[in-house]
Amino acid sequence: MPDICLYFQVHQPYRLRRYRVFDIGSGAGYFDEAANRTILRRVADKCYLPANRVLREAVERSGGPFRFALSLSGVLLDQLESDAPDVLESFQGLVGTGGVELLGETFHHSLASLHDPAEFRAQVGLHRQAVERHFGRRPEVFRNTELLYDDAIAPQVARMGFRGMLLEGTDRLLGWRSPNYVYVAASAPELRLLSRNYRLSDDVGFRFSNRSWDAWPLTADRWAEWISRSAESSVHIFLDYETFGEHHWTDTGIFDFLRYLPDALARRNVACVHPSELAARAPLGTLSAPVTSSWADAERDTSAWLGNRLQRAAHERHARLGSRVKEIADPVRLETWRRLGTSDHLYYMSTKRFSDGEVHQYFSPCDSPYDAFIAYMNALTDLERQCAADTVRGRWAAEGEMAVAI
Amino acid sequence: MRVLMFGWEFPPFQAGGLATATLGLVKGLLGRGIEVTLVVPFAAAAADVPNLRLVSAAEPRPGLRSIRVDSPLAPYAGAEEYLVLSEARASGPHGGSLYGANLFDEVERYAAVAGLIAAEEPHDLIDTHDWITFEAGRRARAVSGKPLVAHIHATEYDRCGGPGNPEIHRRERLGLLEADRIISNSAILKRQVVEQYAIPAELIDVVHFGIDAPAGQDDLDDLPVAAGRPTVLFLGRVTRQKGPEYFVEVARRVADHVPEAQFVMAGTGDLLPRVIERAVELDLADRVHFAGPAKGPEVDRLYRAADVCVMPSVSEPLGLVALESLRNGTPCVIPRTAGVAEVLRHALRVDFWDVEEMANKVVGLLHHAPLWQELSEAGLREVRSPRLGLDEAARKTEEAYRKTLTGVALSEAKGA
Repeated sequence: MPDICLYFQVHQPYRLRRYRVFDIGSGAGYFDEAANRTILRRVADKCYLPANRVLREAVERSGGPFRFALSLSGVLLDQLESDAPDVLESFQGLVGTGGVELLGETFHHSLASLHDPAEFRAQVGLHRQAVERHFGRRPEVFRNTELLYDDAIAPQVARMGFRGMLLEGTDRLLGWRSPNYVYVAASAPELRLLSRNYRLSDDVGFRFSNRSWDAWPLTADRWAEWISRSAESSVHIFLDYETFGEHHWTDTGIFDFLRYLPDALARRNVACVHPSELAARAPLGTLSAPVTSSWADAERDTSAWLGNRLQRAAHERHARLGSRVKEIADPVRLETWRRLGTSDHLYYMSTKRFSDGEVHQYFSPCDSPYDAFIAYMNALTDLERQCAADTVRGRWAAEGEMAVAI
Repeated sequence: MRVLMFGWEFPPFQAGGLATATLGLVKGLLGRGIEVTLVVPFAAAAADVPNLRLVSAAEPRPGLRSIRVDSPLAPYAGAEEYLVLSEARASGPHGGSLYGANLFDEVERYAAVAGLIAAEEPHDLIDTHDWITFEAGRRARAVSGKPLVAHIHATEYDRCGGPGNPEIHRRERLGLLEADRIISNSAILKRQVVEQYAIPAELIDVVHFGIDAPAGQDDLDDLPVAAGRPTVLFLGRVTRQKGPEYFVEVARRVADHVPEAQFVMAGTGDLLPRVIERAVELDLADRVHFAGPAKGPEVDRLYRAADVCVMPSVSEPLGLVALESLRNGTPCVIPRTAGVAEVLRHALRVDFWDVEEMANKVVGLLHHAPLWQELSEAGLREVRSPRLGLDEAARKTEEAYRKTLTGVALSEAKGA
């Protein structure tokens, strides 16, 4: 009987408003505060609060055995703190039960790990501080933005003191191996790797409410049965928390599924484990990943954010602006730049689904990927100009001081 | 299947989207093995107009028989324009007898000829395009007894932003009510017809117009505009329906952010003098070029010379300009309510009155090469896909024809 390691990711970006070319230089903010607040509240009511309740009851009812992991992005924590403190309390209460392990990630849910080691380290540090502040915990296991992973990232994560890291169990990466074991990173032997079983995870995450799926409706019993059938070590189920209530609405029965799941697992002697417990186990083998993988889209690589020229142009421009922003050493500018680095902004510019003729995603605030791109680039232009102005002001100030000194 | 079709001039020379769309429809139908007999009112005087490029009617076209009816009827002619045309014609080389003292007399004459043609030409079904040919279609049906399809491309309400000419409105209404089946070129137009004329939705099929590959790759010399400067194009009639006044306002705002940009307005119409005045008022005189109506291959050259094509149309049941623009690799900004917006993904959408947003998008396209490249490539791919091709439109039209043939006499069901 394998163990099961459940992990849920919780994140909301600061979405941009329709930032027009006329807004540049006007002092108007880039982010759509009203929309972000509204969306946060909606997701909290449909997902966070009900799911937290169900899980908290489950943990308390089990008296210990039922446990899982959560990771909340820093930008989400900030928004909860300012706009939905009741929801933050709900998470704190859930974590306070002792059954929840918190994982580390980049504060701003960014792609810094791909090209900027210093920024990556800084954002992870910020996230650690936030987790300490809100929950009094220190994460031991890391999950990168959208489970981005490759051989270059692993050593950086290990150096930051994490014992384990989550990644997507892609066929490309695993080859003939099963995801249901603990592995070790080829480029960082001290880092244990937990690979997501995407088939079993997607059964719940994607297929749960799909009526044309031959396994619909999926009951907790049946799914627990599938888990228990694995003759391997540990099944790693990693899901977006919004699975519960947002991706699949209440009327699909998703909360009932969640409610009955702990029992269904327990009856089959499938034990729940925390990622850090797994990270303490002996690994079966080594995984090597020269190509970056992720849990996004069918491709499970970086194409969700860097697949088209719009995305690459936007990403590069943002990255270039980084060094200038840091020169100025203005915390507000830096925080703005970091919020613009949240991966969602690039995700909205993806043309993959757009070409396939699907309606724009439920969560994208933009009419189209092109609108997303235009708003983003306009915002960057404004930020660039503000930095340029700051630099000039800084020089004047410095000259002024020198003049006084003379 | 043999279709007796009453339409505009064939081949199209100057009249804009409708004629080109009909040409595309006819090509598509012929490509599917449907025989088409196309009856057109053709202003013979037009043959004398210089710079006109006509696709030779003598060009052998299997299955297509084109019969010209000599008359100064031209599409979109309001009653006033018609009078001017008639006078010009009377004094032209073919001068002599005037056909009718007014537009409606012409329509009647056309309808009378239609009856004669219907008696001579074998056909299984009759197809008509817009109010000007509806009477002809009805007369043909009265003679041959074959089912009648009414193609609607634009309503009088659309053209005028209100009830418009009562006689045109009456004829349009009668034609739609009397038809056995209606084909609309967009869902939004279908909705209008259902609402305005209380016609049951199940009698109306929606067939978006298709587009075919461009004629050839012309090079870009002797362009009417200076090459190398970012160029924003408006192509269409300079009349209320097409929103030319919005274009000028957009131009002003774009020029504020892209000082080297230039703007080309290719078309003519009743609002042209006002638009020119406004351009001068807005200090755009040296940046806006009024190129006049574009014809034939000039059209494709203009699209290619432009970086962006803008359609600020107040009402755009068709929107073929968008497809033509994309076919030439030029990204376009289209109104949300355009018929073509129902099928196009890779065009930027905007509300026709939202001058700020239109300018925002145009500036975005001019400033950011990756955006332009992406939209140019994706738009070109989309327009070349079978979904937007002539065969797909013809296939759906054929389906509509078949429904007509096998359907019950719908006029009776409607209780006219």
